[in-house]
Amino acid sequence: MGNWQRLVWDQRDALLAGLVVTIKVCAIAFVIAVLIGLLLCLVRMYVRPLRPAAILLIEFFRATPILVQLLWVNYVWPAVFGWPDSFFAAAWAALALQSSGYLAETFRGAIEGVAKGQREAGYSVGMSPVHVFWRIVLPQAALGSAPSIVNQFTVIVKSSTLVSVITVPDLMYQSQKIVNVWYEPIEILTATAGLYIALVFVVSAVGKAISDTLRRRYAISAV
Amino acid sequence: MTAPTIKVVDLHKRFGPLEVLRGVSFEVRRGVVVSMIGASGSGKSTLLRCINHLETPTAGDVLIDGESLCFRNGRDGERKPRSLSEINRMRRELGIVFQQFNLWPHMTVLANVVEAPLRVRGLPRKQAMDIANACLARVHLAEKALQYPARLSGGQQQRVAIARALAMEPKVMLFDEPTSSLDPELTEEVLGVMRELANDGTTMIVVTHEIGFARDVSDRVMFLHNGLIEEEGPPEALFGAPNSERLRQFISKHLR
Amino acid sequence: MSESLHQALDLSLFWEYRNVLLHGLAVNFYVFAASAIVALLVGLGAALARVNRLWPLRALGTLYVETFRNAPEYIMVVWVHFVLPLLLSYLLRSRLEFNPFASSVIGLGLVYSGYFAETFRAGIEAIPLAHVEAGRSLGMPERLIFRRIVLPQVVRRMLPESVNQFISLFKATTIVSLIAVPDLMYDVTMITQQEMRPLPLYTGAALTYFAVVLAGSSALRALSERWRAKIYA
Repeated sequence: MGNWQRLVWDQRDALLAGLVVTIKVCAIAFVIAVLIGLLLCLVRMYVRPLRPAAILLIEFFRATPILVQLLWVNYVWPAVFGWPDSFFAAAWAALALQSSGYLAETFRGAIEGVAKGQREAGYSVGMSPVHVFWRIVLPQAALGSAPSIVNQFTVIVKSSTLVSVITVPDLMYQSQKIVNVWYEPIEILTATAGLYIALVFVVSAVGKAISDTLRRRYAISAV
Repeated sequence: MTAPTIKVVDLHKRFGPLEVLRGVSFEVRRGVVVSMIGASGSGKSTLLRCINHLETPTAGDVLIDGESLCFRNGRDGERKPRSLSEINRMRRELGIVFQQFNLWPHMTVLANVVEAPLRVRGLPRKQAMDIANACLARVHLAEKALQYPARLSGGQQQRVAIARALAMEPKVMLFDEPTSSLDPELTEEVLGVMRELANDGTTMIVVTHEIGFARDVSDRVMFLHNGLIEEEGPPEALFGAPNSERLRQFISKHLR
Repeated sequence: MSESLHQALDLSLFWEYRNVLLHGLAVNFYVFAASAIVALLVGLGAALARVNRLWPLRALGTLYVETFRNAPEYIMVVWVHFVLPLLLSYLLRSRLEFNPFASSVIGLGLVYSGYFAETFRAGIEAIPLAHVEAGRSLGMPERLIFRRIVLPQVVRRMLPESVNQFISLFKATTIVSLIAVPDLMYDVTMITQQEMRPLPLYTGAALTYFAVVLAGSSALRALSERWRAKIYA
């Protein structure tokens, strides 16, 4: 199968470069998604005047498809807000927004799920509500959300295949370029599909292992 | 004559249409151990939770060393409800042990006990740690300091909860059915620690089903029924010669 | 900035093309419906394989589910559209080309069959053994037990839980625009190239999907709550 050699192995530099871009985009998007998700969640739960706005944003990010968000952030935002200034930035911004909506709801469920008795134990030794929130509720909510957070990371990786549409040179983009040059899609597309499946599998397995260990140690159940 | 450590004045509590406490009054002096017994729904737990303001009383007041927990005197001399931060400050003087232990699972045993002295009282680290270790030793769990609560048995977790409450050096220790969630084999280790605390002169209010404990360790027993104190007195009187029929029935049902 | 904001929110252009765009939205629904059927049927099959007595079937089922659950929708659809016809051409010794609609339905159907397989498997394993044993003690053959006792309960229990997956599937149908299936996004992209005014069009598309998905998911959730209340009442 000389084709594999020519089409996949010889192109490994380009594919590797694409993979690196994919990982970068996903990593940045993930961190931003967690931060924005947490912010939206806290505003929704505790800042009464801004609650409708927060709910609107959360529902908007959850309801619009990722492709639509990608194109919208990439073409409309620069004209209206002056940012993003690059395709790469548009890519991680759109991916982050998509996941932030889901994470906001996950965090809310996890925070509400922390048993009342935990808070009462804190109040009873004189802890202020803020102190109770930061030291007692939030850590437990974070641990309970761990499986959902890992799941959103895999969603980000899977959605990242679409950033090739706004010409970000990720793995998908690189393999499509090779197909356009050589007109022989079988080996390269199969290899790319395999790479993505493996990548998602690894992320999911590692994430699950970490979250299982953490939750077993502290005996906190999932949200 | 100094003020009693805890004085409850005509406490009422209603949840919607349901009136759970209908005017309870009593006082507890320093070093005294009071047990509260009664059937479910008699209001014992609610009473305890009103004392440390986890529930807000509908009417009446709770005084700690003569200072009102529920109200303060405003500048114009009027009585106003206390703010949450003031209540929190006063709560440090009351230790409570819950039926469900409520240990914080993401923190080690030692971290659970040291959190309040360190971060609420603001004590220097060494001092807070010394206090925490001393409290753990007092409940005979010093060797479990670095374990997580998930690894401990129910009885051990409850003893850690006792240590956590003791670490704030409260004036009064409140116990809300501390052994009800425990398997029978594990209740004795917790009752043993409570006995030791009583012998050391700790002021305690204990809501319990354990008649034996109430009889052997308390200085005074209160029998609650339907939101009121039906009978009150030293254990020999209450258990030896109960006045009310209800109390008689209660004792015969619960004495093993 | 406010000039652009004004442009973005001036949806008159979007409204002008509403007939074409409405047709595109309908295509999203067609793709959704067809893929959902494929995903449910294949997913159920995979779930049955995973709980089967014979270990080769279980292994095959697990391999299938892990492959498709972890596959990005886009690469799967592209692969089915460009690679699968070539592979089948070699096998059948004739030139084969896939209609992009068919490729999308197969691609999305396969990916989502992975998710539904897991949902069904959880549902099957949640059925109390006691129900099955009751059937066995009455002398019911295994197949009948499955068909009349297990399967109806699984479907009834898990369909409400699958609401989120259906919503995801609908949102994923926008991908088909990238292999030239004339859905709403495809139409929007074409019109943008013609009119050179992306702001109102992309904003309009975002708002349209927002409205449709929000309305659809609220309706689905309300229905599933009613369903759930009936089961557990």
